[in-house]
Amino acid sequence: MDDSDEALMARVARGDERAFRTLGSRHVPAMLGVARRILGNAADAEDVAQEAMLRVWTFAPRWQPLAQFRTWLTRVVVNLCIDRKRRAPWVALEAAGEIVDPALGPGDKAESDERERLVQTAIGELPARQRVAILLTYGDGMSNAQVAEILDTSVSAVETLLVRGKQNLRRALDSVIDKDG
Amino acid sequence: MNKDQFEKFLDAALKRHTRPTPTDDAAVERVLKRIESPLPRQKQPLWRLPNVLLDWQFAPAWSRVAALACCAAIGFVIGIAGVDRRFDGADARLTVASSADLGAIVFEPEALTGARP
Repeated sequence: MDDSDEALMARVARGDERAFRTLGSRHVPAMLGVARRILGNAADAEDVAQEAMLRVWTFAPRWQPLAQFRTWLTRVVVNLCIDRKRRAPWVALEAAGEIVDPALGPGDKAESDERERLVQTAIGELPARQRVAILLTYGDGMSNAQVAEILDTSVSAVETLLVRGKQNLRRALDSVIDKDG
Repeated sequence: MNKDQFEKFLDAALKRHTRPTPTDDAAVERVLKRIESPLPRQKQPLWRLPNVLLDWQFAPAWSRVAALACCAAIGFVIGIAGVDRRFDGADARLTVASSADLGAIVFEPEALTGARP
């Protein structure tokens, strides 16, 4: 039996709950990760992943395989996250700033921690679409074309989002340059 | 930190901070549990109904032949009974056949003079 996402979606469109569960177990982990990195909040990420999967079920009969299922689902998740971000402020991930070089001394470590915290905060304060573009490009290694498809925009618009996002980050992290250089 | 170092630091920091986090199995389980039955009703595409109507099958099958026979019988009965004729049209034709004074039936007498148009 064809077990591709598209074949499973065709079965879901006919009301096959088993195919829906297979799709869920295949994609929920990644979608949770995307939502968590955009929202910075695990509980909200779970809500978004649930909502996205319910939309998959509800709209399966209307789904057209114009894009890859994974791309479409990521778009749904990203849009739900952006909607949610409009309503709620960003909360930093508690795990941020843990990745430091163990060879550093206590003073260096504190400074490194501070920089990591600043970067994390700066990413969190970016406008939603800039943050999503940066997350998908740097975090998931997606091409600009893939990001453009997810954000429903052009490749050049994605490039602009990335450039502006990095400009904003440079501006927010000016203190890092000034302090040391 | 000079600007070149900063650019390298920024790229590395972006990769570190945006990379996928390890999967939280408990969270995945919770989400999968929340999307179990009963699931909401699916939204059917708007173009499905015309497709059904246009999906004509001419191959003989007892159900289609029976449906066709029923349609024919109903059409015959309607034709014989004259249910499809308009009542006012039927009245007018009846009047023409039975009486020359068609205006007496069709028009009201004038209120003041009592004259018929």
